[in-house]
Amino acid sequence: MTQVTGNAAAGGELPAPPRVSAAARWGGLKAGERRVGLLFLAPALIAFATVIAWPFLKALGYAFTRYDLQTPVPRFIGLDNFRMILSTPEILGSFITTGIYVGLATGFTVLLGFAWAMILNQPFRGRGAVRAMSLIPWVLPSTVTAFVWGWIFNSRFGVLNALLLELGVIEFPTAWLSTSQGAMAAVVVTKVWLSIPLFMTFFLAGLQSLDREQIEAARVDGAGNWPVLRDHVLPHLRPVLLVVIVLGVIGNLQHFDTIYALTGGGPVRATAVLSIEVYRRAFDQWDTGLASAIGLLWVATILPAAAYYLRHLLRGV
Amino acid sequence: MKINRRNFVALGAAGAASLAMPSIGRAQGAAPSFMSFTYAEDPNRPFVQAVLDGFKTSSGISVEVIGSAWGDTQRNILLRQRSRTLPTTAQIQDRWLPAMASMPEIVDLEAVFGKAGVDAMVDPAIAGMGRVGGKTIGLPIISGSIGMFANMEVLAKAGVSSIPTSLAEFRTALLAVRDKVPNSVPYGMATKNPGSVPLDVLLLVWAHGGRMIDESGKVLVKSDSGRAAMEFMAGLMRDRLVAPEIDRPDARRLFGQGNCAFYIDAPQARSFGRSFSGRGEAFDPVVMPMKMPVANAGIKPASIEWGHLVSMFATGPVAKDSPGARWVEYLMSDAVQTSFPLKLSALPGSKAGRAAPAVQSDAYLRNLVASAGTGMKHEIGVWSNSPELSTILTEETQAALLGQKNAGAAVDAMQSRMEQSMARRG
Repeated sequence: MTQVTGNAAAGGELPAPPRVSAAARWGGLKAGERRVGLLFLAPALIAFATVIAWPFLKALGYAFTRYDLQTPVPRFIGLDNFRMILSTPEILGSFITTGIYVGLATGFTVLLGFAWAMILNQPFRGRGAVRAMSLIPWVLPSTVTAFVWGWIFNSRFGVLNALLLELGVIEFPTAWLSTSQGAMAAVVVTKVWLSIPLFMTFFLAGLQSLDREQIEAARVDGAGNWPVLRDHVLPHLRPVLLVVIVLGVIGNLQHFDTIYALTGGGPVRATAVLSIEVYRRAFDQWDTGLASAIGLLWVATILPAAAYYLRHLLRGV
Repeated sequence: MKINRRNFVALGAAGAASLAMPSIGRAQGAAPSFMSFTYAEDPNRPFVQAVLDGFKTSSGISVEVIGSAWGDTQRNILLRQRSRTLPTTAQIQDRWLPAMASMPEIVDLEAVFGKAGVDAMVDPAIAGMGRVGGKTIGLPIISGSIGMFANMEVLAKAGVSSIPTSLAEFRTALLAVRDKVPNSVPYGMATKNPGSVPLDVLLLVWAHGGRMIDESGKVLVKSDSGRAAMEFMAGLMRDRLVAPEIDRPDARRLFGQGNCAFYIDAPQARSFGRSFSGRGEAFDPVVMPMKMPVANAGIKPASIEWGHLVSMFATGPVAKDSPGARWVEYLMSDAVQTSFPLKLSALPGSKAGRAAPAVQSDAYLRNLVASAGTGMKHEIGVWSNSPELSTILTEETQAALLGQKNAGAAVDAMQSRMEQSMARRG
């Protein structure tokens, strides 16, 4: 028999029992909060799963199939696509081209970004305006950048040819984008110009946290510019430098748009980096199986740098 | 409204439903869609619009037009196939058909209109253009051939009084243009884009008496003629008679602006000339279709068969009176065929259109037919692996033009890479 107590026994109204939320009933408040958290995370997870994870897994599967215009339904062929990659000098050449492009673009961007940060770290009139203007290449859409540089390098109407002809350096207009070296130089210059602001910002942030008193003390001890740079600035910037190089390598390994807009991977295959190679195999030649296999190896080239960066990032947390 | 889990899910479901609605509407096929690259070309858009308006007036049906640049159209169609958003109909370049024939959605138009219906619409001379593997998967809206055009004003400036008929005369004319017309590209040969380069190379290989790939799929470019053609092209580049970084649209502009004496194009050369010169029909006498110059008198000048076709896409049977089929029928009707091709400076695709007085009396079209010579199939485009073959041909030609390989090495590499591609094709 239920025992009646308190107000009820006295004949008064019983206060309503505190309402327990469904979440609290199902594993307690903490678990409920976790579920709400997951619910809010769901859109990002769904987007990641549908835009990145699912296509990646599909491409992973396609890498082991023949899937082209003659084979509209993917057919399992084991490692044939990878054998094809190993036996095709043109595809293997793309790995070398990618290495050259990544090395040059990352190296020059780090060097020039660092130099520019050093300049912008000095006090001078109008420094704020110069810093703001330095971000313009970063803000511009990359295809716009590619067309600007395409116009500069154009053999018939280009500014570069006009200038060199005017100065008498060349006798006839030069087709810069039609030689292997010229095309590679053009895509590297464009990417360096595009990336300097970002790298400069990293370096500038690092330089601003440098202890000025330490530098002044070194100066009092008679240290010149090079010793100050070598013994104080660079050691201080070492973590930034590592992150910037890793990010640069990852970004340049993935880079596609300005190269495609400027040269389309040509002439011949001079600028056919892996991103271009995958695109051409997939969307010009419709060989999805082979494109997926190349893409898989391309991801493998990015993974070590990405793993290093993530390790660094998680350590910092 | 209080946001709780139930409301959150409900809102999500409502959003998904609202996104799904338009595609359901489309699936019910209220209005047919038409992907067109002519519509994407500024000078030609009004002509396509006039056809769309005419169809709406005569049938009451609006066609949803999807403009797509020529170079992107094949890619867009194949991407739309994979995302199951194919248009009802599309304008197709004739040489894309073999590569698209394996698409399960492409409609056999004989199953829609019957063989007699198709035969009644298409001129028998070009009936084979839309047939692949025993099916009619495209009907030619406009037709003609790809050949060489001369700019009579530029030739006059260079002191060239007659159209060259041999490659030696052609080269002499190019030298005259280079020396007497400053800042010109004497021959606007396509040197950049795999979509364009094969046309110039094919015509020059034939002009040397060679073949690229025969009807059985045997690669034949490695020959004395093939090497001579490659050497000829490399020589043109060395002597600055052609230029790097030139694609067909660049050549059209240069030609229209009086900076190019010769280039290879489809019949629409006259329309592009009218537009890019800014002189309209007054420019017509400047554009002269000419026979392809040849290496020696024993070689017959050739041109490449060419046409724009309309194809249909569906996942099931198509009724003859469906809006899409009626649109296709309208494109082949006399109303369209006696006017639209003329505006694009091309020959009609229908029997009645070709016999129309306006077509018969057009001097440009008469010259075009007379200068076509032997009409040849596009020896690269007819194969289902044509995108890969085009890339190989372009890369090896560029290597020879830029001096990275000598002509012989480029031809050898082209032969071996094309053979591998054909073997893989099976």
